[in-house]
Amino acid sequence: MQIPGQEKSFIFPVFVMGLFCVTILAGLVGTILPSLNFLPVIGHTKVSLSVWRDFFSYPGIQASFFVTIFSGITASFGVVSFAFFFISVSYGNTLWKFFEKILSPVLSIPHAAFAVGFGFLIAPSGWLIRMVSPSLTGFTTPPDWMILNDPAGISLTIALMIKEFPFLIMVTMGALGQLDIKETLLVGRALGYTKEQIWLKILIPRLYPHLRLSIFAVIAYSLCVVDIAILLGPSAPPSLAVLILKWFNDPDVGFKLLAAAGALFLFFIVLLSILCVYLIEGSAGFFLRPFIINGKRSSFLAWFKPVIFFMGMCIIHFTFISSVILVIWSLTWQWRFPDFLPATWTLNFWAKGMVASFDPVMTTVFTGVAAALLGLLLTIGCLEHDVNSRKNKTKNHTRYLQYFLYLPLLVPQITFMAGIQLLLVIMKMDGYWITLMLSHLLFVLPYMFIALSATYLAFDGRVTDQAILLGRSYTRVLFRIKLPMLLKPILFSFAIGFSVSVAQYIPTMLVGAGRFSTITTEVVNIASGSDRRIMAVYALIQQCLPMAMYAMAIILPKILYYNRKGMQV
Amino acid sequence: MKHFFLILLGVVVLTVFSQAFAKDWSEIEQEAKGQTIYFNAWGGSQPINEYIQWACQVVQETYKVRVIHVKATDIGDVVSRILVEKAADKQTNGSVDLLWINGENFKAMKENMLLYGPFSQNLPHYKLVSTLKKTMLYDFTIPVDNMESPWGMAQLVFSYDTKQVSKHPTSMPELLAFARQNPGKFTYPAIPSFHGTTFIKQVLLELIQDPEILNKPVIQADFEKNTRPLWDFLNELHPFLWRKGKVFPTSGSQMLSLLNDNEIFISFSFNPNSVSNAIENGELPNTIRTYIHTMGTISNAHFLSIPFNSSAKSGAMVFANFLLSPMAQARKADPRIWGDPSVLDIKKLAGPDKALFKAVPKGIATLTPEELGQGLPEPHVSWVQFLEKEWLKKYSR
Repeated sequence: MQIPGQEKSFIFPVFVMGLFCVTILAGLVGTILPSLNFLPVIGHTKVSLSVWRDFFSYPGIQASFFVTIFSGITASFGVVSFAFFFISVSYGNTLWKFFEKILSPVLSIPHAAFAVGFGFLIAPSGWLIRMVSPSLTGFTTPPDWMILNDPAGISLTIALMIKEFPFLIMVTMGALGQLDIKETLLVGRALGYTKEQIWLKILIPRLYPHLRLSIFAVIAYSLCVVDIAILLGPSAPPSLAVLILKWFNDPDVGFKLLAAAGALFLFFIVLLSILCVYLIEGSAGFFLRPFIINGKRSSFLAWFKPVIFFMGMCIIHFTFISSVILVIWSLTWQWRFPDFLPATWTLNFWAKGMVASFDPVMTTVFTGVAAALLGLLLTIGCLEHDVNSRKNKTKNHTRYLQYFLYLPLLVPQITFMAGIQLLLVIMKMDGYWITLMLSHLLFVLPYMFIALSATYLAFDGRVTDQAILLGRSYTRVLFRIKLPMLLKPILFSFAIGFSVSVAQYIPTMLVGAGRFSTITTEVVNIASGSDRRIMAVYALIQQCLPMAMYAMAIILPKILYYNRKGMQV
Repeated sequence: MKHFFLILLGVVVLTVFSQAFAKDWSEIEQEAKGQTIYFNAWGGSQPINEYIQWACQVVQETYKVRVIHVKATDIGDVVSRILVEKAADKQTNGSVDLLWINGENFKAMKENMLLYGPFSQNLPHYKLVSTLKKTMLYDFTIPVDNMESPWGMAQLVFSYDTKQVSKHPTSMPELLAFARQNPGKFTYPAIPSFHGTTFIKQVLLELIQDPEILNKPVIQADFEKNTRPLWDFLNELHPFLWRKGKVFPTSGSQMLSLLNDNEIFISFSFNPNSVSNAIENGELPNTIRTYIHTMGTISNAHFLSIPFNSSAKSGAMVFANFLLSPMAQARKADPRIWGDPSVLDIKKLAGPDKALFKAVPKGIATLTPEELGQGLPEPHVSWVQFLEKEWLKKYSR
C-alpha cells in the first residue's frame, strides 16, 4: 500500500533522467557529427570517414594509445587490488583508524595541486634529491634522470594510484556498514581462518557489488585524466586525453574534427574496459570458487603484511609531503637546486593571492553549495523513490536512472561539454550562473549518488514504519526521523558534491562563457605560467574549500547530537 | 589661382575630414561610457595580470568603461568559443569584446570571419605606432589589414646562467657544440607548442641555404630538400638534449622553471625583458643573462582584436586605444612591471611622452635595442603546419 506523500516521488528520477538525457544527447551529437566530418561553421559539410583516417594516421597516435591504456588500466587494477589487500590486512588496526581520521583532508586535495607537489617531490631536481644533495650524492646540478614524464607513463600511473586510493577507501568505509563484519570475523575466527583469509574469501566478494560503480568511475577517470597527465605524463606524444584537449584548442580549427573523433575513440576504450571488467567479474566468480572453498585457513597475504603497511604509509606520506611542498613554495622568494629550503622567503604572494582570489572564491562557494544542495535534493528524492517502490512493488524509475547517471563520468569531458556549449549558445543560455550550476550538477550528482546510495538503501525501514504506525505523516517521518538519522552520510555526500563542483574546470570555461572565474580556473590559468610560488598560493586556497566542507561534515553531527551517542558514529 | 583653389579645397576637405574623424572618436568615447567589456587574455603571469588590472582601473576612472579581464589558459579556447557562437548564429552580445591574439589564432579568426574591423586606423593613438616595421603590418606574414590593434613586440632571446656557462653560443652550430659538451643541459618545448615551433623556425632560418624561400608559401616538393639541414641538425642535437630528447617540456613557461632548478643551463623566451622581470620578482636568480645569435632572431608582434559579435565595440576600442597610449606603453615596457617592448615609434612622440620612455630603466638582463637588432621575419605561415607535422612524425613516437 502506498502511503500519502510517496506517490509523487517519481518526479525526482524523471527530472534527473530528463536533464541527463538532453545534455548527454546534445553532447554526443555534438561529438559524433564532427567526427564524421560534419561541422558547417568551418566549412565541412561532406559526411565521410576521412576524419577517422586522419585520426588513426596521426603521428604518434599508437604511442598515445598505449600510454593511455597502460597508465589507465595499470592504475585502476593496481589501486583496486591494493585497496582490497589493504582492507584485508589492516581493517580495524591503528593504521586503519588513522586513515579514517585523515581521509577527508586527503580527499580534498585537488588533483592538479597534488600533481604539482608530487612532481616536485620526485623530480631529479626535486625535494627528495635535494635532501641528500650535495652532501651524499655530490650533485650540484640535478642528474639527468628520467623519473618524471617518462614515455611509458609510469610516474603518471603511480600518481594516479596514490590519488585514487583514498577515494576507494572512502567508498569502502561507506559500504562496510552494510556487511555484518564483526559477526563474520567472529564466525570465521572460530572456524580457524586467519583475518586476512576471511576478508579475501568472504567479505571482499560481498563488498565488491557495492564498490562496482566506484571502480568503473576509477577506470574511466584514469583513462580520461587530463590535469595530472599534463603535469606528470609524457609529452611527445602525450596521452590520448591530453592530445584531444590540445587538438580542441589548436588554432587550426580543422583539428576540432580530430578532437571529436579522438573523444569518441576514448569513450569507446572506456566502455570496452568496463565491459572487460564486467566479464572478468563473471569469470572470477567461477575461477576463484576453488580458492574460496579449498578450506585453507592461512593466507599468503600475511607474508606481505609489512609491504602493504609500508605502501599504505608511503601513500599517506607522499600526499602529505606534496601539500607541505606547496606550503613552502607559497612562502618562497627564491629557491634553487640543491638548496633543501628556499634561500629567501616572503609573504608577498599570500598577500597578493588573498586579495585577488576573493571574488573567485565567492563564486566557487556559491556555485558549489547550490549544486551540492540541489544534488542532495535530487539524490535523496531518487533514493526515496527507489526505497518506496521496492517496498510497494510499484514502477521503479530510479532503476532506469543508473543507466545514464554515470555517463558524464565515462565520456571525456572536453568534447562532451563542447556539444552542450553549442546547444546552450543556440538557446542563448550560455554565460548564466544557473546554467553553470546545472553543468556542475551533471558531475556532482553521480558522485553524490555513489557516496550516498549504499548507506541510504541500507537504512533500517522498521524505524520509519514504526513512526508511521504511530500516526505521523510520511513527510514528517522523513524529515524528523530518517534524514536526521542519516545526517552524517548526507553531510559527507554534500561535501563530496561540493568538492566535485569546486574541481570543475572545463564546464566552467565552456558553459560559463568566461563570465565566471572560480578558484579552479584561477589555478589552471596561473599553472599555465611558470611561477610556482603564486600557483602554490592559489592551489592551497583551492584546497581549503573542500576541506572546510569535510570538516563541517565531521563536526556538525558531533555538535548536533552531542547527547545522542549512537548517532555520532 | 587654380592651384590656390585646389589647395583651399584640399585644406577644407582635410579639415572637414579630420573634424569628422575627431567627432567620430569623441562619439565613440561617448558611446563607450558605461559599457562593460570582457577582455579575454592569457592569465598565466602574475605581473601581466597586475598590469592589466592597473589598465582596467585607469580606463574605468578616465573613460567610465568597465573592463573585466577574463583569464584564459590558452587563447585557442576563446577562439573556439567565438566559433561556436558563430555556428549558433549569435550575431550580438558575444561573450568576448576584446582579445589578446596573434599568429595562428589571428589567422584562424580572420579566415573564419570572426573579426570586427578594420578598426585600428581609427584609434587616435594608432598614428604613434611605428608602422614602418613590417611586424606591425604582417602578423606571421598574414596582412593585418587593421583588423587588430598592435599591443606589444616580441623577439626570441636566449638566456643562460652565467654561473654555469662562461661563454654562450652565438649560432645554432655553436649551440650544438654546447650541448655536446654539456649533455642534458639544453632543451626546447615539444611541438606544437608556440615556443617549440618558434625554436625550430629559428633553426631553419639560420641553417637554410636560401632564406628567401621562407617568405613564400611552402611547396610540398621542395619542403624535404629545403628543410634537410634542420632535421640533420635536430637529429644530431637530440641525443644531447635534456632527458636525451625523449621527454620535452610542454611549454615555454616550464623552460623557466627548469632554468631556475638548474636542470638546464640555456633556455629561451619570447620577450627580451622576461628574464629581467623574472629576476626582479625573484623567480630567477640574478646570475641569468640573455643573448641572441649573431644572425639575429625571430621577432613578431602581438595584437588586440574585436570579435564580430561584440556588443561593446566602442568600449573595446577605447580600451585598445588606451593600451596604445604612451603612458600605458611606457609602463608596460618597464621590466619592473612587465617589460613588454613598446609598439610606439619614439620619434613620433611629444616631449613629455618621450620622457616617459626615457624614465623606463633598462632591465638587468635586457639587451639594448642595438644588440637586439632588427629581428628576423617569421617564415610564411604555411610553413608552420608542415614543420609541425614533420616534427611529430620524426620525434613523437
